[in-house]
Amino acid sequence: MDERNKQIALRIIAIMYFLTIFAMQGIAIYRQFVLGQELSEFEDIAILMTINSLFLISALLYFGAIPVRKLKIKTIILGYLLFVVLGSLFTYAKYNIFGSADLSFKQLFDKLIIVCVILGIMMAFWILLSILGKRRTEKEIGD
Amino acid sequence: MQFIYCILEYLYYIYIVENIKLKVARVEKSLSQQELADLCEVTRQTIGLIEKGKYNPTLNLCIKIASVLDKTLNDLFWDENKK
Repeated sequence: MDERNKQIALRIIAIMYFLTIFAMQGIAIYRQFVLGQELSEFEDIAILMTINSLFLISALLYFGAIPVRKLKIKTIILGYLLFVVLGSLFTYAKYNIFGSADLSFKQLFDKLIIVCVILGIMMAFWILLSILGKRRTEKEIGD
Repeated sequence: MQFIYCILEYLYYIYIVENIKLKVARVEKSLSQQELADLCEVTRQTIGLIEKGKYNPTLNLCIKIASVLDKTLNDLFWDENKK
């Protein structure tokens, strides 16, 4: 296998990976909204997709596929707030628009705290990985 | 007419320009595509595509090809028309 074969293989693998992810997303949406299945019925797909996405972003950060020049506190806070807003909207839509739970403001607030904590842990993990990845690259340059 | 000719010439250099220099250097050394490919540790198709101008090799492969053919990178890969 020479460099051209590897390039073609990697390109096809990347395309197929994204097609698979999109297909799984489609399956999850179809099951949830068309077939009206409960989350527990396609929880395996949801967990697989979540873990997959988390690992993908982590690997992209660690191996330098996402360029991180300098981590600014302002950018981190803005990114975190954006995630929190999106997470809150998703939680609200999930329970009160698409679901029939009709949670009260208090119940939604409790869920929002969980969303904030999970997103906080995720952000901290990604920041750590991007720092480690940057350090790794710098070490390679230094060798 | 002149305008169309210019566009066609431009397209020729952009899309279908063959790496004649590589082909000539290979023939000068009396090597077949397969022999050059074996010496460079790549497949014959890769050499064929480079000669056809349909694959851009990495710098490492360019250096390997140049050293096998006893040429410099400029001799093989520098295109005066693209300056």
